[in-house]
Amino acid sequence: MKKVLVVDDSLSVARQLEKIIGESGDFICVGHAKNGAEAIKMNHTEDPEIICMDMNMPGMDGLTALRTLSVMDKEVKVVMVTSLGGVGDKFTEALKLGAKNVISKPFEADNVLRILRAL
Amino acid sequence: MAVKFFGQYLVEQCIVTSNDLLDAINLQDKHNLKLGEIALAMGLISSADVQRAHNAQISKDLKLGDLLVEMGFLTIVQLEDIITRQKNTHLYIGEALLQVGALSQDNLQKHLDAFKADQDQYLSDSVELPVASVNSLLWEITADLTYKMITRVLGLPFRTGACIQKSVISPNFLLVGMDMSGDVEARYMISVSEGLQKTIARAILREESVEEESTEVLEDTVMEFVNIVCGNVAAKASQMGVIMDINPPVVIHQLLDGLPVPEEQTALCFPIYIGDGEIMEMILLITE
Repeated sequence: MKKVLVVDDSLSVARQLEKIIGESGDFICVGHAKNGAEAIKMNHTEDPEIICMDMNMPGMDGLTALRTLSVMDKEVKVVMVTSLGGVGDKFTEALKLGAKNVISKPFEADNVLRILRAL
Repeated sequence: MAVKFFGQYLVEQCIVTSNDLLDAINLQDKHNLKLGEIALAMGLISSADVQRAHNAQISKDLKLGDLLVEMGFLTIVQLEDIITRQKNTHLYIGEALLQVGALSQDNLQKHLDAFKADQDQYLSDSVELPVASVNSLLWEITADLTYKMITRVLGLPFRTGACIQKSVISPNFLLVGMDMSGDVEARYMISVSEGLQKTIARAILREESVEEESTEVLEDTVMEFVNIVCGNVAAKASQMGVIMDINPPVVIHQLLDGLPVPEEQTALCFPIYIGDGEIMEMILLITE
């Protein structure tokens, strides 16, 4: 099973994603980071294959963390999960920084799993 | 299930890859000239004129075209001609994806139709505001998107009351806010009764019961609802050419007799009635 790290300051979004990932049968959630800095640390300790990360977080935001992760770890695949997905500039910036996809909130379980399985 | 643009929809649906889209965006960047570049190419102005207009933009809140007219570098007729040329030669993302070979013509129309059907649910219905604002349309869209998300995310039937301007924000069980900045300066707030907070938590967490949940989790679900609404408002704003940044949502401390509205701000309150006696209020605290 592929290891997934969830990064979101919202407890409720993390709960939703952990549930979707846990019930999928082909992914396992290895942790929950609450901001970009925690995500970078947990990427080192948990070694996930996929990171699902919010953009808008207090402390280090998702795009800053993505910029660092893209340099530090060429293997990990990052998918942004954000309410700002429909903002063209943010979406394009995320792809340019190396995100594999951007999922807009509100999301549906089958959409999240289709995107994770396509990675 | 959210406000999107066509390229994002295609990547999210795994119809094109993120690399395909980036190639198409790069092609657009090369092809779609800015207004100043077209004016230069048409020989109407010099690069020094453009630079002078850009410098003037630092102190004047005007679009480049309007400034070039104001400074006497272009006539209104020339500006209109440039804008028409810009529109007529614009390479849209669908056409750019065709050109980079990511889509076929048949597929483009099929996916465009599906995208339009997906986004039809976010077409704005009219909402009346009691006062005029520079960004009235955006605030109407904000109220309308709040109503749409109550239906789509929370799955709740409701009825709305008329928007009113208030000098004091009525106290409620929980008040959550999110600051909007950029081209607009405002705070979006949602206040909910205790029962409604639990209803929202059940919907967001997709749980039958939330009686065992902590206060932190219950508050977080309302903050997440605010985050979803404001993110989608920012997406709509970007489609209108308005830059809107949002900060993470926060719980706002309330006073027993309500929250007075500062003189320099306008508070627009949208009452929302859900179920029996459950009260939600959406408030826009606008600084203009």
